[in-house]
Amino acid sequence: MALNALSSKALTQRMDAAGVRTGVRRFVNIGRQLNLYYFWEKRWFFIALAVGAGLLSVPTPENLSREGLIVLTMSVVATILFVTEPVPLPTVALMIIVGQVLLLGLESTQVAKSLMTDSVLFIMGSLMLAVAVVKQKLDKRIAWLIVRMTGTKTSRICFGISVVSGILASFIGEHTVAAMMLPVGITLITLTSDDPKKVRNLAAVLLFSICYGCSVAGIGTPSGGARNAIMIGYWKEFFYDPTNPETFKFIIDYVTWMLYAYPMFLLQLPLVTVILLFTFKPEYRDLSRAVVKLRAEVEVEGPLKPGDWVAIGFFFLILCGWIFISSDIGMGTVAVIGAIAFLVAGLVKWEDINSGVNWGVVLLYGAAISLGVQMKDTGAAEWVASNFLSLLTPIGADEGIGLWAAVSVLTTTVTNTMSNGAAVAVLGPIVLKLASVAGESPIIVGFITAVSSAFAYFTVVGTPACTIVYASGYLKTTDFLKVGWKMCVMSIIVMLAAAYVYWPLLGG
Amino acid sequence: MNTDDDVRRELEAVYEARKNRFRILVGIDGEDESYRGLQYAARMGANRSDCDIILVYVRPIDQGLHTGGLQARVARENLLSWGIELPGIRYLKKGLSMLVEDAEMDGDWVAEASHTDVQGDPLGDNKTEYRHKDGRSIVLKLKTAPDAASGILDQYELGPYDLIILGCGKGGRGPISSVFAPSVAEKVALHAPCSVFVARKLEAGHGHLIAVDGTDKAMEILKEEARIASRFADPKVSAICIAKTEAERAQAEAVVAKAEAMLKDEMDFQLKATYVRVGDPVKEIVDAGRDYSAIVLGCSERSLFYRMFVSSVPLEVVRRARNSVMIIR
Repeated sequence: MALNALSSKALTQRMDAAGVRTGVRRFVNIGRQLNLYYFWEKRWFFIALAVGAGLLSVPTPENLSREGLIVLTMSVVATILFVTEPVPLPTVALMIIVGQVLLLGLESTQVAKSLMTDSVLFIMGSLMLAVAVVKQKLDKRIAWLIVRMTGTKTSRICFGISVVSGILASFIGEHTVAAMMLPVGITLITLTSDDPKKVRNLAAVLLFSICYGCSVAGIGTPSGGARNAIMIGYWKEFFYDPTNPETFKFIIDYVTWMLYAYPMFLLQLPLVTVILLFTFKPEYRDLSRAVVKLRAEVEVEGPLKPGDWVAIGFFFLILCGWIFISSDIGMGTVAVIGAIAFLVAGLVKWEDINSGVNWGVVLLYGAAISLGVQMKDTGAAEWVASNFLSLLTPIGADEGIGLWAAVSVLTTTVTNTMSNGAAVAVLGPIVLKLASVAGESPIIVGFITAVSSAFAYFTVVGTPACTIVYASGYLKTTDFLKVGWKMCVMSIIVMLAAAYVYWPLLGG
Repeated sequence: MNTDDDVRRELEAVYEARKNRFRILVGIDGEDESYRGLQYAARMGANRSDCDIILVYVRPIDQGLHTGGLQARVARENLLSWGIELPGIRYLKKGLSMLVEDAEMDGDWVAEASHTDVQGDPLGDNKTEYRHKDGRSIVLKLKTAPDAASGILDQYELGPYDLIILGCGKGGRGPISSVFAPSVAEKVALHAPCSVFVARKLEAGHGHLIAVDGTDKAMEILKEEARIASRFADPKVSAICIAKTEAERAQAEAVVAKAEAMLKDEMDFQLKATYVRVGDPVKEIVDAGRDYSAIVLGCSERSLFYRMFVSSVPLEVVRRARNSVMIIR
């Protein structure tokens, strides 16, 4: 776009008339070609680079190695770019890869190897499964199952949507369920009234039931979200030593994770519905008109077909694989086997998976985890943790519940400005080292971080479910603020209660 | 080579033909303010064969990280399979129904749809053009761009347009928020090469207040405003000149008198009223213009670089005014 060129035409004519020298003219012509809008739009990219250059030019702080400073600088630059998004996010992954080779002097093969771990394989496999599950078109049947169970009262339907969305999302990921359930919510809204203004609050309650139901469930199992897999990977990378049986507890398998997190999810489910109903007060207390029409639509589908049964069977087999054999072969392997099964059975086309998965995100998580490992190896994570702890000491938040609350608030703040997976990838190394330095359990602090990363209730971009549901056009950004703070307070209280009372019973 | 030349010639012909038309680009985002802007555009071009109205909805390019790595298109395709319209299409259709009655659409209008691939986004750009037999057209454009402002500015490049109308939330923004998180309207007002109307609490029928400063450029802008206002059935334009000190009041009075006489002599256009105020230009213009449908200003002569980092009177008025503002270029 050469927008500024138009306004300088008169200047050129004036220069011609005045016989301005060639050198000056050339300079002005260069100025005309410069696209200021481009630089303005990318300003955060240049600000991030300037911040990076500034950090690299300062003397290395005491107790921090030069390599640690470089990794820390890369993390700061990556965080600025994650939050402000001046360039496509996979570009940040590429910058992290190149930065490790050029700035840290690592072998490019070593960096390439660090990009693929079981956590990354798991994220990739889960995304492929997500596309496969959405493509089975089981959503109408799920919708009908919900209204058969709940009846036609609005409050019961909202609770039913939260429960079903939540239980499904806890196993197959919140993005999958949000994509499946969004049409259900919108159909119930539009069948109630064609005028969005007349069903403004009803729309908010139904759609938030989907996205918050999914959000609170995303912590339930490792397959609920990428952040869980990332934290499991960090625990193993940071604390597991095959020669030391004391460290075996840091291998958190599928069932162990569920034991810690699933009760929290179940406890939050009814509270989600209560908060939503009190905040938005739907215009219609009964949705019988919409339910009748929905039933008519579902009846057109006919009974479940053999392919549907096979898909449901695969889903349960994958679930069993995660629960029973993932500790031996890895959760990533199970997820990939599941994707293979759907492809071999012809239940999904590779083209659908290829276009439905954002492969750049897989690369991004791989690079972020790789950088997180460098944070540990270079001592940068420990240095940041020590300094952060010294800030917390004067306010008495350097141990116990004070420290947990501080970690939770920090994670909640960060996750509301970027995706929750990125938040855990960035903060994970720091908080785990923080736990070590403070003498706290890295498992509890790690869980607090992973769980708190789901508290991105305030913004549209905080969680995948919120982003997908917001795209329906029925919600405003201010709606997220209106209800988000209540959800956040509720979730933090439930989590701290679990950390204080329940998790120590599990040996955390 | 010949093909390129043909395409270029064709584009030049399209541009040439469009120069004789009054083309209004209206940004639609589903908010009431954008529809008020559309109604304003409709009043400007109501049943005039020389006016085209283009409604554009900009959908941001999918960023996979926000949706957890699952492409938003998966959710979008699922919505479509349920027979649910995507928000952009819904908003544009609502806009169309405000411009043309459904019954009328069946008679005199011909529709033509087209699709343009956008690299990296399978949905791409989609356009439906409704052409009336008298020559006017209404275009619904579903555009994909990194953000709304970029999409609207990109759309200008496909134009050209005489006026861009955008809805905008409440005014009164501070300089810091404007620099670090400018609104879509601010971005477009800063960069667009044509006139921009920022619709805010827009109520038709209260007339325009144009600020003049006595320069040749201000007089040209006054004429342009008179031309735009003449498109309304009952044009009501008042002019104001701000004197920075009491000593300059007489000079300011001479400026508005000259402006009034010029419009009368050259265009036979009568200003409704003229005012002179003393004080800070931005504050006085915002204050004097609050009871009008819109405040009108000429584009600043400062460089783009200066306007971006230091601002200008027109941009400051866009930021601070609580009602609609039009910047004429």
